Amino acid sequence: MTLTGRFVLLVALGVVPIVLLGDTSARALAVLAGWLLLALTLGSIDLALAASPRRLTLARVLPSRVRLGEEVTSELYLQNDGPRRLRGIVRDGWQPSAGAGNNRTAVTLPPGERRLVALTLRPTRRGERTASHVTVRSMGPLGLWARQATLIAPAKIRVLPPFHSRKHLPSRISRLKELDGRTSVLVRGQGTEFDSLREYVRGDDVRSIDWRATARRNDVVVRTWRPERDRRIVIVIDTGRTSAARVADEPRLDTAFEAALLLAALASRAGDRVDFLAWDRRVRARVQGASGAELLSRMVDGMALIEPELIEMDWTALPGQIRGITGQHALVVLLTPMDAPGASTGLLSVLGQLTARHTVLVASVTDPTVVGLTRTRGTREDVYRAASAERTMLDATRVAAAVRQLGADVVTGAPDQLPPALADRYIALKAAGRL
Amino acid sequence: MSAVTTASPVSSTPTLRLALRRSVFWVVAGVGALLVAVIAVLVTGSGGAAGPRLGAGNPAPAGGMAVVEVLRQQGVTVVPVDTLDEAGDATAAAGDATLFVSDESGYLSTDQLGRLGDLASRIVVVDPDFRALQTLAPEVGFGGVSTADSLNAECTVPAAERAATISTGGKTLGLPAGTAGYTGCFPGENDTFSVIERVTDDRTVTLVADTAVFANDEIATYGNAALALNLLGATDTLVWYLPTLADVPVTGPPSLGALTPGWVTPVLLLLVGVTITAMVWRGRRFGPLVAENLPVVVRASETMEGRARLYARGSARLRAVDAIRIGAVARMAQTAGLPRTAPLDHVIRTVAALTGRPPERVYAVLVGEVPDGDAAMMALSDAIDELERATALAARPPGAGPSPTAPPSTGRMEP
Repeated sequence: MTLTGRFVLLVALGVVPIVLLGDTSARALAVLAGWLLLALTLGSIDLALAASPRRLTLARVLPSRVRLGEEVTSELYLQNDGPRRLRGIVRDGWQPSAGAGNNRTAVTLPPGERRLVALTLRPTRRGERTASHVTVRSMGPLGLWARQATLIAPAKIRVLPPFHSRKHLPSRISRLKELDGRTSVLVRGQGTEFDSLREYVRGDDVRSIDWRATARRNDVVVRTWRPERDRRIVIVIDTGRTSAARVADEPRLDTAFEAALLLAALASRAGDRVDFLAWDRRVRARVQGASGAELLSRMVDGMALIEPELIEMDWTALPGQIRGITGQHALVVLLTPMDAPGASTGLLSVLGQLTARHTVLVASVTDPTVVGLTRTRGTREDVYRAASAERTMLDATRVAAAVRQLGADVVTGAPDQLPPALADRYIALKAAGRL
Repeated sequence: MSAVTTASPVSSTPTLRLALRRSVFWVVAGVGALLVAVIAVLVTGSGGAAGPRLGAGNPAPAGGMAVVEVLRQQGVTVVPVDTLDEAGDATAAAGDATLFVSDESGYLSTDQLGRLGDLASRIVVVDPDFRALQTLAPEVGFGGVSTADSLNAECTVPAAERAATISTGGKTLGLPAGTAGYTGCFPGENDTFSVIERVTDDRTVTLVADTAVFANDEIATYGNAALALNLLGATDTLVWYLPTLADVPVTGPPSLGALTPGWVTPVLLLLVGVTITAMVWRGRRFGPLVAENLPVVVRASETMEGRARLYARGSARLRAVDAIRIGAVARMAQTAGLPRTAPLDHVIRTVAALTGRPPERVYAVLVGEVPDGDAAMMALSDAIDELERATALAARPPGAGPSPTAPPSTGRMEP
């Protein structure tokens, strides 16, 4: 039960009769008592005439998934099963991060009829967003008092990672296509395979002329090569505690997701097989044996629920995990923070094992503000901060050098630059036939 | 799209019946506590009910209810009044009446006491104060507290004679021996009396020095009851007058209460009610809160800021400057086209050659100088910066665009 502003106004209006009729104290008190009694009686009548907020049938229509940053309409159908007309307000209890905005809707529901309460959700955070209940406040015909009940009506929607970096995909795919049919011998190597023969045109490398085929024909014929297909790529994302830190107001983990999605989309288009693993001390998500659109949809589905864990990454178990995914040579992409030598000892200790079997690429997010801070030296504090920033960059450089020394490749970049940088490095490795 | 239908869904808000059933224990406990409190007040509260001393309806030990009730049973009409005007009306209505006055707080003025004396033919004044004595019996004075072991009538006043004795230890009144028109009863030592009767032409004024004679707790002892009943029950009507504040003449301007209209207090009460309803209106929650686990916000640069503050607190100037130098040397080597592994001497010589500065000076800026204060550290930092810019400027191929100050980009060019 609750009451409305109209009832408060009604009680307040009692001032008029009290002042007009109450010339003595006793009479004024009598008028006051009478007015309060009148207000309470009216309120009780109103409450008795209000429709029951419990006799409703609720139905929800809701897509199961939405990409972060996009809008989705949550539809809630209310059907009045009671004999009275329901006038009131409905509140759909979505979590704040579901971005429901003003979730109170006025409804008028004649008996036996059905009405739609549509709510536009604009989720502000990745993961599973839920609604647990619907609260209905049913006013009486006078609008003085109201009945209120909370009905259990669970709903959930999975908010997927936004994949902003897909804007880089068309340009990378076109560059990938350029690799196909390239004759340059410079790219011929371990990872390229024979594609076809074609006529020589000016500009082709003379070293790629196939003399035997030329002898059979009157024209000069060159061999063309294309990058090898069906290479294996294993993307490993570190979901340990260090991935929770925010760079440019985005957790490192989310940047890693962006980079992983772009790389997976690109590699899947290039005909390579992509496996995905999110790991800290246990497997948070794993996608194996999928390709094309299914690969991406399974990856974003798995990523949606991953949050950074407050535990240290277990690097020693990682080679075993990768061995479980593939026994062949593969491109292993490790998306992990690479800040300080102390925090990266785990990574460095297993990197030798990995590089012995695989091509390893370590991708890491760097803070773009650090570079700016090294140039700001106006005050004493600024100088110390610049020194600290230089020290931070130096630490990262040392870790990167150590990683390179162990035979792995390093890609670093600011949050918006890391995904395309990783894709470019993949294309370069592919062109060089190192997959 | 997925559709979920919940027919007659479960409500998490309890119905009225359920809420009552759940709170039945507290309701019973509350009612029980209230009941116990009421009973306790009824049992013990009778003694605590404060009333005026000798009040006609006051059952307390100091009250006068006992004698009033006995008089009523004997057929005497007892009229309790609060003001002198009411007392006048009551005696005028009764014709022949006895007036009982006990002005404990001294509300009555001399004029009022004068009027009081004319109201009835029989007046009993209990515990008279100085003004009352001056007005009604000018010859009588105060006699102090009685120390006699027993008080016997020893006079011709009929009521006193019938009472024979009264309670000892009370106040007394002094009456000089041989004063005409007065009869003193229950004498103590030195011409003091507990009851004095003054008979004039048409009226009898009886002064009773102590209130104990009429009080509920003492009325049944000695001859108190006989004295009281005989003094007060001589006529059909007894006007029981205890002066109150209303007898005090009003002086000065009218009070704030008199000027306030009657409706002010009820309106204030109504505003309290409005406030309470408004609080319920605004405070009633629209359903329960929805819980959500939110991530903590940790900026990646926090460790860097922390290290900067550690440097600042420890005044680690040399360490700070060295960090800047290492970064600057690496950048300058890159600008000058030297390999990353180039030795420091090589870099210094190359930079000196590029900028045309003496190598000793470059060495001092990049290696040698030790800052001995914040100002020196700032100056050194500026010198390193300036050297870096100069190197970048000198290393640029001629004809390249302006902006020699831009640091070498660490980002990648977008295709």
